Order: sequence, then C-alpha cells, then structure tokens
Amino acid sequence: MTKEIQGVVLTVLGIVVLRLAVGTAYLNYVKESLRPWLLVSGAVLVVLGVLTFVDVVLRRSVPDEEPESDDGHGHGHRGPRVAWLIFLPVVAVFVVAPPALGAFSAARSPAVPSLLNTSLPDLPAGDPVTLYLSDYVQRAVWDKGTTLTGRTVELTGFVLPQPGGGWQLARMQITCCAADAFASKVQPVGLPAADADLPANQWVTIRGRWVPGGSDGPGDEIPLVQVESLQRVEQPENPYD
Amino acid sequence: MTAAAGRSAPVRDDRQREDGGPRRRRWRPSQLEIVGMVAVVLVVGRSWVQEQVAYPAVEAGATVFVAIVTQATPFLVLGVLLSAAITAFVPPGFWIRALPSRPALAVPVAGAAGCMLPGCECASVPVAGSLMSRGVAPAAALAFLLSAPAINPIVVISTVVAFPGQPQMALARFVASLATAVAMGWLWLRLGRGEWLRIPDRSHLHGATPWHTFRLTAAHDFLHAGGFLVIGALAAAVMNVAMPTSWMQALADHPVLSVLGLALLAVVLSICSEADAFVAASFTSFSLTARLAFLVVGPMVDLKLFSMQAGLFGRAFATRFAPTTFAVAVGVSCLVGWWLLS
Repeated sequence: MTKEIQGVVLTVLGIVVLRLAVGTAYLNYVKESLRPWLLVSGAVLVVLGVLTFVDVVLRRSVPDEEPESDDGHGHGHRGPRVAWLIFLPVVAVFVVAPPALGAFSAARSPAVPSLLNTSLPDLPAGDPVTLYLSDYVQRAVWDKGTTLTGRTVELTGFVLPQPGGGWQLARMQITCCAADAFASKVQPVGLPAADADLPANQWVTIRGRWVPGGSDGPGDEIPLVQVESLQRVEQPENPYD
Repeated sequence: MTAAAGRSAPVRDDRQREDGGPRRRRWRPSQLEIVGMVAVVLVVGRSWVQEQVAYPAVEAGATVFVAIVTQATPFLVLGVLLSAAITAFVPPGFWIRALPSRPALAVPVAGAAGCMLPGCECASVPVAGSLMSRGVAPAAALAFLLSAPAINPIVVISTVVAFPGQPQMALARFVASLATAVAMGWLWLRLGRGEWLRIPDRSHLHGATPWHTFRLTAAHDFLHAGGFLVIGALAAAVMNVAMPTSWMQALADHPVLSVLGLALLAVVLSICSEADAFVAASFTSFSLTARLAFLVVGPMVDLKLFSMQAGLFGRAFATRFAPTTFAVAVGVSCLVGWWLLS
C-alpha cells in the first residue's frame, strides 16, 4: 500500500465516521452517547490522513521508490497490506447503507430482556402515556402488570410477522452497538381486520391497554396489549429503545 | 469516495513526469488510480449493488459489521494516539525504571496498571505493542493487554449498573480478570518462547521530530490494527446472523456446558467490553458463574481481538496465546464464581 493510499484510507474512513455522526444515520448502529467521540475520532483520522498525503506531496523531490523491504509484517516501509480492508466499511456505509436491525434480528432474539431496573416506579401522569416497548415488557412480565393496570399506553415498534399468521410488535434495544441488540416483543390482541396482516418492518404506534395473559414459560413470556387504535408511522429517528 | 477519484488526476501527472513518461510503453495504473476507478464504479452502480444485497440476513449482517467498526473506531483512535505518544514522547528508559526489574514482579504491577487505561480491548492492543517495543518485558505487557479492557473504571461501573443489587458481580469480574491476566503473564514467563512472539518493530517510523514520529506511528498503528479489526468485525457479523439461537437455550440448564457455552459465545460475539455486562445481564436463564465466564473471556479472547493480536504479534503467538487464555479464563471464572457468587 503506497503512502498516498494510506492517506486516502485514513481520510475516507474519517469522512465516513463524520458523515454518520453529523446526521442521524449513526443511530442505526450505535448509541447516541457515542456521538461526540465519533466526531472527535473522525476529525483525528481526517487530519492524520491529510497530513500523510501532504508528506507525499512535499517529498516529491526525493525519489520515493524505496525498495520494498518486508519486515515480516506482510508490509515493508510502505504500510500494512491489511489496511486495504478498511475500504470495506467505507463501501458498506456509502454504497450499502445497511438499515437499522428489524424483524430478521427480532425473530432470532430471546423474548424477554432482563430486569434492568429493580424498582419500577408508577407511570408518569398523562393519558395515554407513551412507553418504550422494553419498559412495557418489564412492567408486564416482572411486575405482573401492577403499574399498568387501568392505564392507556402508547407503544411504538415494528411489525414482526409470526410463522402461524398475525404479527407481534417488536423493537430492538441496544446497550452499545447493534452487535449487542436484543428484542422486546408484545402481542397485540383485538386488531382491526385491516391490520391483521402487515408487512414485516412496518413501523406502527399502538394505543391500547395491558391485559393479563400471554404465552408464558420462563424466559419466553410475550405480554399482551389490547389494541384501541393503530397508526402506521415512519421509523423513529432513533430506531432502538 | 468521489474526493479520492478527483485527486487521482494531478498525482498521476506527477508520476508520469517522474518516471519519464515516454520511457514507459504500457500504462500501468497506480494504486491511487485503481482506487479512484473502483470508487467511480461503485458510485455509478450504487443502486445495482443495493439490489444485490437486499436480503434480510445480509442487511442485518452488514448492520452489525458497520456497528462494530463504528463503535470501535473512537477507542482504536484513542489507543493508537496513546501508543504513539508512548513511542514518541516517553523516553526509552522510562518503563525500565517504572516497572520492577524482575519480570515476575513486573507482571502483577503491569496487570494492576491496566485499571488506568479507560477504554476497551481495541485500545489496549496497540498500547501493549508499543510497550513491548519500548523494552517492557513481554510477559508484563501481555498482563496489561489482558487486564486493561476488563478492570478499568468505565467497565467496572457499567458492570455495577448492569447487575443492579449484585455488586459482587463487578467484584468477581475484577478479581477474576486480574487473576487471569497475571496468571497468563507468569505462564508466558515460564513457558513462552521468544520466537513465538514478534515484537512490533517501529524503527522505520522515526520522523524528523517527536511530533513527526508521533504522527507516523499513529497512522501506521491505526491502519494496521484497523485492518484486523475489519476482519474480526466481519467474522462476528457472520456469526451473529448465522448461529442457530436454539443452541443457547439447550445449554442453559447444564452446569458445565452453560459456562463453556457462554464463554464461547463471548469469543464469537466480540462485543466491546464496555457493553458486554448488559448483554450478560440479559442471559437470565444462565447461572451467575456462566455469565462471569462470559465477562472474563470476552475482553481477553474474541474474534476481533484474535485477528488484531495475530496481526500485531504474529500468528504463531496468537494461536498459542488465545486458546491458553481462554482455558485459564474459564478456570479462574469457575473458581471465583464458586468463591464469590454462590
């Protein structure tokens, strides 16, 4: 890998990181809290890359065809060959632009996330009250619905079609990046006939009430929500809980 | 990408002039021109490529791949800046004075010093490499390499948060990780052979000034570790979408297999050590000891780390070091789990 390409790789990867962090695209892959670090590291990479390029331009007068002496790293003085692979994530972001994890990953994820909050406070005031899907599942499963009883809730997620027909409402939750994602799932009941079958990954907001029941069994409990109304919506800016 | 394509023209002119244009009969594209042409093809054929990969499994794999690289980049940048600073600004004799001269003592000191590097495993690989090339005993640098991603304050705090009401989990993780790191350092002292380990050579990265050396080292280390990070992220992404999930449930009920199963899962998933506690907490059907093994193994042995270690220290090293670390980490986790978590 020539010095020029080293400069290009560093610069282009820096641009990719900055490009993700400047808009909202980074939210498809990592947590919001990483954003400042993405901006800083992207800028560092661009500076490193541009300076590497400047080196090349300034040394034009010196013959730069050094003999390719291999130091056992699989690279000589010209830079590691493995660095060519850094173009892969660049291509993945600019060309493929993979979407947020959806129904495919939710179907593979175990049903019930762990109890992250030991104390579940009363729901905030308001009617309906907007809840994260993971919060709803925790309250329904670990708290037997005590704090949900008698309240109207609004849940947003995507459609996870079921093998036997019908669908569940699902949303992925991440703690750092999409590699550690797991799903929260809720079974809507009383759906209007028009919405009984929706395409996978269609985002919807359901207004409804908690009702007891749902498939049980340790680690495999899917709580129910009695649907009062359903709205098709766009994917939220942050697709994860 | 278009920026790269646009730059290729003036450089090419330069090249041809240097090479004395007429002498060269056949036009051979430079690397820069090839990159530029590929970039143009990809930009033009973008929608065609998108159609070719429009399968849920491929898209989910690509998302996980981009996510791991994105998540790791800031930490890798931090790591290479630190390692470049060690190479460029810390006088060569410093580490020899700072660490005990007897390697057997330097190992635990270096292991404990791991708690001072806030970051995850991507940062510690280049730092350990530059410690070695600065004359730190390999055994001590390896203890640091293993302990730093697991016992630093950020990781300890995230473990406490992930296991509410069970602070002994964070304590057990700290104890087991430090013990494994020190044990591996001592094992390397006794059994390790110099020829297995390729100590990174930085002599060709000497610049005109310390700042120039700093910059050259940082760029070189990032390109090197970044390439291997990509290999590891690819492997982890493929496993993430290809592994049958039903296996895990079957393992959970078996006391021995559950420990081995979660330890292997840690290797495969390659999750950042700052996030793995939350993932471990979600394996509610597994015993605490099995989850401890997940947390101890993950920051020390995983697909992306193996790839980065093989790249920096050589394959002969990584194929011996990683499996041994895995075995020691699982053993220590069982002991500490039995002691602190039952």
